[in-house]
Amino acid sequence: MVLALILIAFAILAIWVVRVAGWRFALQRLGGSSLIIVLVTFATTWLLRQVPGDPCLTALGTGANQEAVDLCRLERGLDKNVFAQYWSWARDVLSGDLGFAFYKNRETLSNVLQARGPRSFWLFVYGQTIALLISVPLGIWSAYQANRVPRKIPVWLLPIFLVATLALAITGGWTLSAIIVLAVLVPLAIFYGLRGGPAGDALVNTSAFALLSIPVFVIGETFRYIFAIERDWYDLIGYRSWGDGVGAHLSSVWLPALVLGLSVTPVYLRLLRSDMIQNLQQDFVAVAKAKGMSNRHILFRHVLRPSTLTLLTVAGLNIAQIINGAIVVEFIYDYDGMGSYLIAAVARREFFPIQTLVALVAALFVFANTLIDVVYTTVDPRVSAGDDK
Amino acid sequence: MSDTTDPGVGTQAFPSTPKVPSAPSKPIKVPRRSGGGNWLFRLAAAWLIFIISVTILFAIFGDALPLLSDPTLKDASAIKQGPSWEHPFGTATFGQDVLSRVVEGGKISLFVATVVTAIGIFVGGAMGLLAGYYRGWVDTVVRLLVNTTLSIPALLLVIFIVAVRSQSLANVIFAVTLLAIPALARIVRASTLQVADREYVKAAEVLGAKRSSILIREVLPNVMPTLISFAFLTTGIILVAESTLSFLGLSVEAPTITWGSIISEGRISFAETPHMVFLPALVLFLTVLSLNFVGDQLLKRYDIKEAAIG
Repeated sequence: MVLALILIAFAILAIWVVRVAGWRFALQRLGGSSLIIVLVTFATTWLLRQVPGDPCLTALGTGANQEAVDLCRLERGLDKNVFAQYWSWARDVLSGDLGFAFYKNRETLSNVLQARGPRSFWLFVYGQTIALLISVPLGIWSAYQANRVPRKIPVWLLPIFLVATLALAITGGWTLSAIIVLAVLVPLAIFYGLRGGPAGDALVNTSAFALLSIPVFVIGETFRYIFAIERDWYDLIGYRSWGDGVGAHLSSVWLPALVLGLSVTPVYLRLLRSDMIQNLQQDFVAVAKAKGMSNRHILFRHVLRPSTLTLLTVAGLNIAQIINGAIVVEFIYDYDGMGSYLIAAVARREFFPIQTLVALVAALFVFANTLIDVVYTTVDPRVSAGDDK
Repeated sequence: MSDTTDPGVGTQAFPSTPKVPSAPSKPIKVPRRSGGGNWLFRLAAAWLIFIISVTILFAIFGDALPLLSDPTLKDASAIKQGPSWEHPFGTATFGQDVLSRVVEGGKISLFVATVVTAIGIFVGGAMGLLAGYYRGWVDTVVRLLVNTTLSIPALLLVIFIVAVRSQSLANVIFAVTLLAIPALARIVRASTLQVADREYVKAAEVLGAKRSSILIREVLPNVMPTLISFAFLTTGIILVAESTLSFLGLSVEAPTITWGSIISEGRISFAETPHMVFLPALVLFLTVLSLNFVGDQLLKRYDIKEAAIG
């Protein structure tokens, strides 16, 4: 089922690539991608065979007698050498048998994918959506403000403000002081931010820079404490599907998705901002301005469009980083997705599911990046997909 | 390009605005080269550099300070206490002083980050330089290796290696190095490609210098700024990666303390010990922030565009 879907997707992609970019490019890409996937999976297979212990030992327990273990190994071909094992695994996967775990009544990976796959999929989609929803508007705004005429901010207010805050904290307690700080800072930030100029840009850019330096697990833990433990805004009861109602579904994923989204937001934001600032200094912007085009038109039609390319490339390369984040987020929120399955599977030395999963992830990565290369030609007619940089 | 030599008739699509002969006004301000920005920016820079120095000094000389005690010393009379004068970072599950644990953990975390970055620079840098300058089959092999490694999520790769081999310090370093090498190799390769196109490299080739000596005397010094800027950024990334591993319980095993393991211990009883999560996390955050800041400033200083490299 899963495999069939993947194959259909690949077929559609292949037809499109051939139509847009021609046979040569398609064959080149196919060869390169297959080689990468084969290398990745073979390295995985080889590494797994270096382990002390194998799935048979884990499944049968330490007290099992040698004959039973040997029989189990013979059954799954674990007694052969790495190449033979790799070949038999590859044959199984290509014929649709994704392999099964030895644990839990031999649950197959297809079942696991059907049960847990959607959870990780939605987490990924919402995370990416949140990240783009935050970073694209802020990035555009920030880049637009960067070169405007500066407005003076009364910086001398800052030390006075800090001293006042500290005095307040010591006399009146931290909560009160925090409330008052927010009550003063937020309107000030909005006031100076909306007035624009480099101050607004600096505000956005500095926040993004700080956010970039916070590890995902720190954001995750903090939000879990604030929203799930201290308040009841998020139930730690796990995922609910679309079938349980839209509200239930969204309320069961919003916090992990937000954390995941926030962890990749600064990457997109900073990239879009710096790219757009560069584009804004191009001659064609000056020409457009001289022709009397509106700022909005220049910004969205002339500057955003080429910057989308950079954003797309990074979004493709970022898939790996989002999966990293998803593993951590699933761990923190006891979210039974593929990430937590993977950690458990590695601990139990489940050779075959791990191999298949790693292959799937690598395939997804290669697939997405090929797709992006082709999308390039649609977004930017100057590039043709066959070109080497 | 100057307006004085160009009459500006018919040759330019848009005649430039005529220069008004301005009266001698204020002298032109030449921006200082030592970092830009206003005093607020410089203050922030000084503060961050101060933080990272303190972190490193604590990790090296922390044992000699009177404030710190034995990080493993259990104190039944002070279990899970919040910050106080005696214990600035509070106490842990069995009454250990968290500040001492943070200092002790910093040794491992910073050691791993430094060693990994050093290996990454040497191996990844060499791979990138050779691939970018010699091209040909070296380039093909390096590109294949890099693309292969980068198509697996880094954390998955590291979790995998650490779980497959045992959770010793050497294995953690080995696993995280596998993450640093391809990233640095890719960046150095891209930078080498740019440098190898420059006139001075071509000139050296025409003069008949040996390729290996061109690589070392012309290309390498000009790739250095990129390499060093990204070394700072990589150290930050590795620090986060190692902490994430120990947060998941997959880094160096139990008796050894790292920043991530203190946080993961604190999260079990979060309501009682939020200081065990937030204070080590704050130290980690400030260290990574400082490293990122230095790397970012170097990138700006040498005018290296992150988007162009990749």
